[in-house]
Amino acid sequence: MKKLISIFSGIPLHLVIITIALIWILPSVGLLITSFRSSADVATSGWWTVLQHPFNFTCYTLENYREVIIRIGIGKAFWNTLLITIPATIIPILIASFAAYAFAWMDFPGRRLLFVILVGLLVVPLQMTMIPILRVFNKLGLAGTFPGIWFAHTGYGLPLIIYLLYNFISGLPSELFDSCSIDGATPFQIFKKLVIPLSLPALASVTIFQFLWVWNDLLVALVYLGGTPDVAPLTVRISALVGSYGQDWELLTAAAFVSMILPLSLFLGLQRYFVKGILAGSVKG
Amino acid sequence: MFKKLTFSLLVVLLIGIFAVNTFAASGSVTVLGVWTGGEAEAFKKMIAPFEAETGIKVEFTGTRDLPAVLTTQVESGNPPDVSALPNPGQMVEFAKAGKLVDLSTFMDMEVLQSDYSPTWLDLGTYKGKFCGVFISADLKSLVWYNPKEFAAAGYTVPTTWEEMIALSDKMVADGKTPWAIGFECGAASGWAGTDWIEDIMLRTVEPEVYDLWVSHGISWLDERVQRAFELFGQIALNEKYVYGGSNAILTINFGDSPDALFTTPPNAYMHRQATFIKSFILDHFPNLVPGEDFDFFPFPPIDPEYGIPALGAADLFAMFNDTPEARAFMEYIVSPEAQEIWVGELGKLSANKRVNPAAYPDDLTRKAAKILSEASTFRFDGSDLMPSAVGAGSFWTGVLDYVSGVPLKNVLMTIEASALDAYRK
Repeated sequence: MKKLISIFSGIPLHLVIITIALIWILPSVGLLITSFRSSADVATSGWWTVLQHPFNFTCYTLENYREVIIRIGIGKAFWNTLLITIPATIIPILIASFAAYAFAWMDFPGRRLLFVILVGLLVVPLQMTMIPILRVFNKLGLAGTFPGIWFAHTGYGLPLIIYLLYNFISGLPSELFDSCSIDGATPFQIFKKLVIPLSLPALASVTIFQFLWVWNDLLVALVYLGGTPDVAPLTVRISALVGSYGQDWELLTAAAFVSMILPLSLFLGLQRYFVKGILAGSVKG
Repeated sequence: MFKKLTFSLLVVLLIGIFAVNTFAASGSVTVLGVWTGGEAEAFKKMIAPFEAETGIKVEFTGTRDLPAVLTTQVESGNPPDVSALPNPGQMVEFAKAGKLVDLSTFMDMEVLQSDYSPTWLDLGTYKGKFCGVFISADLKSLVWYNPKEFAAAGYTVPTTWEEMIALSDKMVADGKTPWAIGFECGAASGWAGTDWIEDIMLRTVEPEVYDLWVSHGISWLDERVQRAFELFGQIALNEKYVYGGSNAILTINFGDSPDALFTTPPNAYMHRQATFIKSFILDHFPNLVPGEDFDFFPFPPIDPEYGIPALGAADLFAMFNDTPEARAFMEYIVSPEAQEIWVGELGKLSANKRVNPAAYPDDLTRKAAKILSEASTFRFDGSDLMPSAVGAGSFWTGVLDYVSGVPLKNVLMTIEASALDAYRK
C-alpha cells in the first residue's frame, strides 16, 4: 500500500520532468525531421505537417545527406577536424593539470600574482587577440598550419581549464599530500600517482568542454587556418554550404547531424566511464 | 596510460607539423570571396578554364564572414592575393590605407574602357588609382508578378507609380491583395525594406542628392527622406494592400514572401525584389517557367524627370599582392569569357559590355540586363555603403519600426541619432 502511494505521489514530478524533457528535445526533433525532407517541402510547409501521416515514407528523402556528404568532402573535413580537435584538447588539458597542481599545492614566488593574472585572462574576448596573434603566426610561419591552430586553442582554453582544475585539485584533502611526502614521493610522483587518478572526474568534464568547444569552433579555424579544402574543418565547410542569401538552408539541418555524430557517440559511449570516474573511491574514505 | 597518451600526442604533433602549409605555394593565387554553396560551385566553374590554361592553382576560400576575415588578414599583414569586396566603400577604405594594387599599372586600360561603361570604372577608381574591377551585378529595381494571373484578371503592367497605385486599388476593389512583402531575415531583418526606400529615393531626388544622403550630407529628417518613407508607407502601411496585413511584413521571411504569388488562387500579385529572388522562386516551385509563370517589370518612375534609375549591388575584385599569378587572375576575370560562364551559372548580370547576351540562362535575365544597361542612372545599394551602425543597423530596424506603426518622426530621429554617431568616426 505504502509502495503504491509513493508511486502515485511520484507521478506529478515525473509528468513535469517528462514535459520539460519533451520541450527541450522538440527543436532537435524538428531539425531531424527537416533534414529528411526535400527542399520544396521544407519551403512550403513546416516539419510538423509530416506528423499527420508519419509513416508515409514518400515524403522523406536522403537527398540532403547525400548532397552534404558530397559537397563538403566529408572524409577530408572529418580528418581535418580530428587533426585539430584531438591535440587541441589534449595539449591544454595536459598543461593545465600541471599548472593547476602547481597553483594548488606547490609553493613558489609569485604564485598569487600569476594566478590573479590568469583569472584576469578569463575575461579577455578572443576576438581582440586575433590580429596580434595572426601577425606573430605570420612571422613564425604558423598561419595556416595545424600546430598554429593547436597553439591558438591551447591559449584560449588554458585560463578556464586551469581555473576549473585548480578549484578541484585544491579541494583534495591535504593529509594525502602530507603522507605522500613523508613517504618520500617527489612532487611529480604525487602528481602522477595521486592527483591525476583523484581528479579524473574533473579531467573528464573539462575534456568534454574543451573537445566540444574546439569541435564546434568556426571563427578560430577560419582566421588562423583559412578555408581551403586542404585544411578546412567540418564547421568551415558546413558554413560554406549555404548561399549568400541563405539559400539551401535545409542542407544545414542534415549537416548538423553529420557533425554531431562523433561527439554524440563518443559521449554516449563513454558516459558510463565518466559516471564511474565521479563515484570512484567516494565511499572508501 | 600516461605513456600511451604522450606517445599518441607526439604522433599527432608530427603529422601536424608535416601537414601542408597552405600559404604562398608557388604557382598559385589565393582568392577570398563571399560565395558559398551554389555560388561557390559557379565560381569554381568560372576559374576552371583559367587553371587549365595557365597551370596556376586558385586557392579559393568562400566565407559569408568576408569583412571580418579579410580585415583580420589584411591587418595581420597576410592578405589574400586577390579578394572580392562587399562594396565600393570597403574598397575606398583599403585604398586609403594603401593596401590595394593600382591595376592600371598592368591592365590594358584601353580595352577596359571600351568593355566597361564609365560608371563601373569610376566606381572602381580612388584618387586616380584604379583599384577595383566589377565582374557582375544584381539589379534590385524589379517588381515580380505572375503574368498568367495578370492576364486572367485583365491587369496590365504599370509604367508609373500612379498607375501602380491605381492597379493596387483596383485589385483591392476586386477583393484581392496586391502586394507580397516580407522583411524577416533573422539578425539581418529589415534589409529588404531598405531597398524599397533606396529605390524610391532614386526616383524622387537627383542622383547627387542620393549620394549626399548615403554619405550623410543631408539629414535623415530631411523632407526628401521623409517623402520616400511616406511613399513606401502608402503601400506597406495599407492593411488592404499587403498580404497578411502590415504586421505580416515583419514575420514573413524575404525568401518565402514571393510564394504568395504562386498559390491558387494567388494570395498576392506583386513583389518587389532583386534578380536573385528567381532562384528562391525556382527552388520553392521547380515547375514554374521563367518568363511564362513569373516575370518582372522595372520598378516604375515616380517623378518623371528622374526616369527609371537602377539600384543594384555588384561583385567587385581588388588585388592586395602584386604577383604574376594574381595579375593573370585579374586579367582573366575581367574578360568576357570568364564572365559568360559566371553569369550563365548564376543569372547575374555581367559588367562587361562584350559579354554575349546568349550567355544568359534565360530571357528573363537578358531582360534584366537590358533594364540595367538602359537605366537612366545606376546607384549602389545605399545601405551597403553607409557605416554598418546605420546601413546594417538602425536603417534596418528603422524600416521595421515604421512598418510596425511607430510614427515616422520618431523612426527618423532614431536613425539620425545613430548616424550622427556613426559618421563621426
